[in-house]
Amino acid sequence: MTASPDPDLAAGVREFFAGSAAEAAADFDRSGRFPRELWAAAEQLGLTLVAVDESGGGSGGSLTDQLTVLVTAARYAAPLPLAETALAAYLLASAGVPVPKGPLTVAPVNTFRLDDDQLRGTARDVPWAGAAGLVVALATDDDGRSRVVAVDPSGYEREDGTDPAGLPRDRLTVEATAVINADTELTAADLRARGALLRTGQMAGALEAIHLLTSRYVGERVQFGRPIGRFQAVQAHTVAIAQAAEITAMSTWRAAAIAARRPARFEAFAAKLVANESARTAVRAAHQAHGAIGMTREYPLHLHTRRLNAWQHEFGTERELSSAIGAAVAPGSFSRSVSDHDPDIEVP
Amino acid sequence: MNLLPTELTEDELRLQSEVRSFLEDRLPAGSYPVQLGIGGCDPAFSRDLARKGWVGMAISPEYGGHGRSAVDRLVVVEQLLARGAPVAYHWIADRQSGPMIERHGSEAQKQQLLPGIAGGELSFSIGMSEPGSGSDLASLRSRAQWRGDRWVLNGTKTWTTGAAQATHILGLFRTSEDRHGGLTQFVVGCDTPGLTISPIVFIDGSSEFCEVSFEDVELADEHRLGETGAGWAQNTGELVLERGGVDRWMSMFPVIEHWAGRLAADDSVAQSDLGTITARMWALRGLSLSIARLVDEGKSPVTEAAMVKELATGWEADCVRLVARHLGRAPDPTSPDPWERLLARAVLVSPSWTIRGGTNEILRSVVAKGLARR
Repeated sequence: MTASPDPDLAAGVREFFAGSAAEAAADFDRSGRFPRELWAAAEQLGLTLVAVDESGGGSGGSLTDQLTVLVTAARYAAPLPLAETALAAYLLASAGVPVPKGPLTVAPVNTFRLDDDQLRGTARDVPWAGAAGLVVALATDDDGRSRVVAVDPSGYEREDGTDPAGLPRDRLTVEATAVINADTELTAADLRARGALLRTGQMAGALEAIHLLTSRYVGERVQFGRPIGRFQAVQAHTVAIAQAAEITAMSTWRAAAIAARRPARFEAFAAKLVANESARTAVRAAHQAHGAIGMTREYPLHLHTRRLNAWQHEFGTERELSSAIGAAVAPGSFSRSVSDHDPDIEVP
Repeated sequence: MNLLPTELTEDELRLQSEVRSFLEDRLPAGSYPVQLGIGGCDPAFSRDLARKGWVGMAISPEYGGHGRSAVDRLVVVEQLLARGAPVAYHWIADRQSGPMIERHGSEAQKQQLLPGIAGGELSFSIGMSEPGSGSDLASLRSRAQWRGDRWVLNGTKTWTTGAAQATHILGLFRTSEDRHGGLTQFVVGCDTPGLTISPIVFIDGSSEFCEVSFEDVELADEHRLGETGAGWAQNTGELVLERGGVDRWMSMFPVIEHWAGRLAADDSVAQSDLGTITARMWALRGLSLSIARLVDEGKSPVTEAAMVKELATGWEADCVRLVARHLGRAPDPTSPDPWERLLARAVLVSPSWTIRGGTNEILRSVVAKGLARR
């Protein structure tokens, strides 16, 4: 049995982003202009709604396929709301709502009050809202039932902001009729778990990027008459980054395989925690190995380390995720949660 | 990066539940002194396990083994380690010496030794390190000289875990001055005249560590394992088995399980620490399983195995800190509570986890060289 990414898809996606993303990332970093052409090209190739059924407007791929795209896009720092669109599509599909084309985004859970069809509230830190055709959210109606709701740009006022990576993260004040208001079985925890898993995949891609950048740099940079990568003290950094990239990628694929079958909050949270820890280690190690050049905007390391700094703090704080897992590890179930493939562990 | 995720097959899942039920029956809680990792020597338990076919799993059926995969073996040993089962008697033979003898030994050696290993009757120790040769193993000076009709061994091996109860030592000796090409392995019975085994008291007061001295130990040529001068290469190939496995990061499992079962429902700091530990161990398991799968595909992921051991042993030692900080006092090694004693031992011995089987410094060099070749 395998849960590996499809090599043909991986190669195709790599080819696409390798040829297009680096320039777009640098350009976005300078200008902040949304790369509409890159988005359109990705959409054309079916890379924006990978895991959505073909009947619902998507490419009919698996969650692993979806993550293959996200890992690779992040590997090249593609400045596109691919994870946000995938997460919005996950919400819409859960309510049986067809997924529209174009960039989408998701507002944090329970920031909007739902009164009949009226949505009100202020959402902080909504990524890529300026580019999104719809802001989708999970809300609770008067009877306490989960609803998937959405507003279009006519329904909110936007205040621009950014995350530490310079990616857009806006504040929305909403007062409007919901353009979508439908029942869903998904809970806030499900949404957080899916978001955590998608971000973990992006972090795996960013970690692979800094692994490749650092390996190349320490092989080329000469001090004391030899490449600095020959020094054991520097090797310790490259090894730490390789480990971080490897364990984060492995955790992504494992959690994705299980999340395709059943709710996988334990696996998603565990993978995200490991990604966070790996990111902290690898960001420090990569900057240390690079020295001053890595601290500049002209060298591409920052495109990845800044994203890792931002993504560590999303879809649950460290404390929330680790406490949720810890609370769910019932007496006698610690070892089983590690060695079972389908651990019977219900994370709140 | 070579590691890809893998899942357990139906057969492997069946094996897992079979091992679980056997251990629940054979080792009910409280019936045995729980161990940290691979401590605890109980020949009777090793034989019982062997009767189930779970010792010498990798050895071919024609030599009394079971021809099982590396993944099957992982499935078995993770259940043993999770319970802190007494596996030391057969451990080294099962993990390393048996597969090494099957791969490099003569037909006579295989027939003579492998059935005993698979039966849990024979216990092996590894004689590699010496007082003057640790990380720089190829500098070793213990010597085997050919005297026309026999080998004569002289020198001292140290940090030889389990030698006091072992039946055999698989030792690496210098047979010529060629640094790597002058090393040869020998299988030495522990009752051979001239061999003296002296326990070394370990930091926690235990005495599994030994020094083994060889004084004019005479061996017939049939004790030589593989070609003269091939010892270094033979060992390099086996490092995947030694480094990539779950035994490198499961020492604390019984202690964590015990602690986790007693957390106060409102102790969110302890729950958070438990969550951190669980997430890390879940992730490491994915790597070890993937390495075992690669071994079964005939590959030798030496770099990946070293990478996993380096990461895992550091995290494992960190687990001790995360658990111990909730006790509220320094754990007492003489406490009437066996779990507190175990935690006290863990605090003391955990620095050894990043030393044994290749120090983390050496492993980082191995990984860096492996990565640079890609």
